[in-house]
Amino acid sequence: MPYYDEIELGDEIGPVEKVATDEEVANFCDVWGAPKPNRFTDPDVAAKAGMPGTIVPGIMTMAMMAQLLTDWGGPGSIKDLDLVFRQPVPHNRPLTLAATITDLREEDGENLVECDILMTGTEGERYVGGKAIVVVAGR
Amino acid sequence: MHSHSVSSDDSRATVEQYVKWIQVLRKRGHTVDGIVLTEHRKFDFDKDYSDLAGQYDVLVLKGSELDTRYGHFLVYGVTQALTQAMDFSDVHMDARALMQAARRHDAIALPAHPGRFGIGLTDYIAQGESFDDVEIVELLNGGSRKGENERAEELCKSHNLLGIGGSDAHLTSHIATCMTDFKTPIKTENDLVEALLGKEFQPVWLKNVVNGAS
Amino acid sequence: MAMELEYDRSLYGIEHVAGPFEITDEIIDRANSSTGETGPAFISDAGAKEAGYRGRIAPPTLCCILVRQVSLPDVKVKFGRTQMHAGQRVEPKAPVYAGDRLTASSHLKDVYAKTGRSGTMVFVVWETTFTNQDGQVVAEVQESFAKRE
Repeated sequence: MPYYDEIELGDEIGPVEKVATDEEVANFCDVWGAPKPNRFTDPDVAAKAGMPGTIVPGIMTMAMMAQLLTDWGGPGSIKDLDLVFRQPVPHNRPLTLAATITDLREEDGENLVECDILMTGTEGERYVGGKAIVVVAGR
Repeated sequence: MHSHSVSSDDSRATVEQYVKWIQVLRKRGHTVDGIVLTEHRKFDFDKDYSDLAGQYDVLVLKGSELDTRYGHFLVYGVTQALTQAMDFSDVHMDARALMQAARRHDAIALPAHPGRFGIGLTDYIAQGESFDDVEIVELLNGGSRKGENERAEELCKSHNLLGIGGSDAHLTSHIATCMTDFKTPIKTENDLVEALLGKEFQPVWLKNVVNGAS
Repeated sequence: MAMELEYDRSLYGIEHVAGPFEITDEIIDRANSSTGETGPAFISDAGAKEAGYRGRIAPPTLCCILVRQVSLPDVKVKFGRTQMHAGQRVEPKAPVYAGDRLTASSHLKDVYAKTGRSGTMVFVVWETTFTNQDGQVVAEVQESFAKRE
């Protein structure tokens, strides 16, 4: 895990590539208790809602974004994760997750690292974007 | 020329983070002189960023991005009189009335991201609408999806329009990805309106502005 | 004239309480397996203790999944046919341990209109606070939903 004094503005976290498979999305919807049928697992429902195909739930993309940060900063490092679901995220396609560090500050005795965080597609789609604040250790 | 701070509902960046990020861009060799905040559906008369601007040596001007029934419009040189003439929160206002009201009140309104699918001027023109008062559009927009800036470029060519560039940043690290390079120095919102009316500017990508223009 | 939004404004200022939500090992396991989570502190007591916790903790977005099980009242927005999840924010305040029982308290924050690539949309924003069995706030979650034509 990084120390605060090693981090500079403009540093990147990731990128990492992930895929949300049909099976993972179905499992996730079961944990959440999503009403069925839904646009996440049923192609007809998705088509009726104007989607090109079944989509990955926003909260599932959020869990993937959180992993990028906890893998970097530690399991309890997220102070704030604030995301906008900008366009439907497809199943079974490569998703690139990355964050860029935009601010470093000490507040109430904590070392705060603020970053922009994005999930993008292979054609430059910006699926999910937002901001996160991560707390990291000093020496 | 086009950026959103946390004062807009869908942005997550503060003005301080934008001006700090511009220091990072400058360190990387890019020339960035200033930003224009264009918050959605409002104008922040009460917000004063001059301390931050001075501290970081970045010009911070204010405008607006308004929703209209013919897509989003960027407004520069907003005055109290203009906000009284037009309801900035009205998402179905007539863009033609906005452009005329802006000129009456010493401001200028122009179409944002005209190539944007579903909500760009290109689509409204294709539906048979005409916009005689449009002379400038946002040709480069940093938030565009594939093909949208290309559609804006075609529109400029076919209708003989001038183009500006704006990042449409909603996140700190997206500020200044597209900019506008003006021939005349800009210090105030009025300078900006005059420079746009003077037609001496061009849109630029950040990646093409290394120790060059603004 | 600006677009007059029609919805149930009497919902403002009312807290809707839901729960308790039992944070079982099984729920954490299933959430982990569906998102490929392998962080040691989320997997086992041993991994969590190594990271300084007293026992296994839930991933920071588990409350974002639970919040979708809270049945919120209909805001009765007279607009649009389709509803999309437009955004979500989580501010974890304290660890959520396996075995915790959480309570959710939600209130309507805002309703407003805007336009975008898919036409006019009306946004509905809810805020929820999750509290554990000891009365400690463990997370604040904000969700926004867009209704479109």
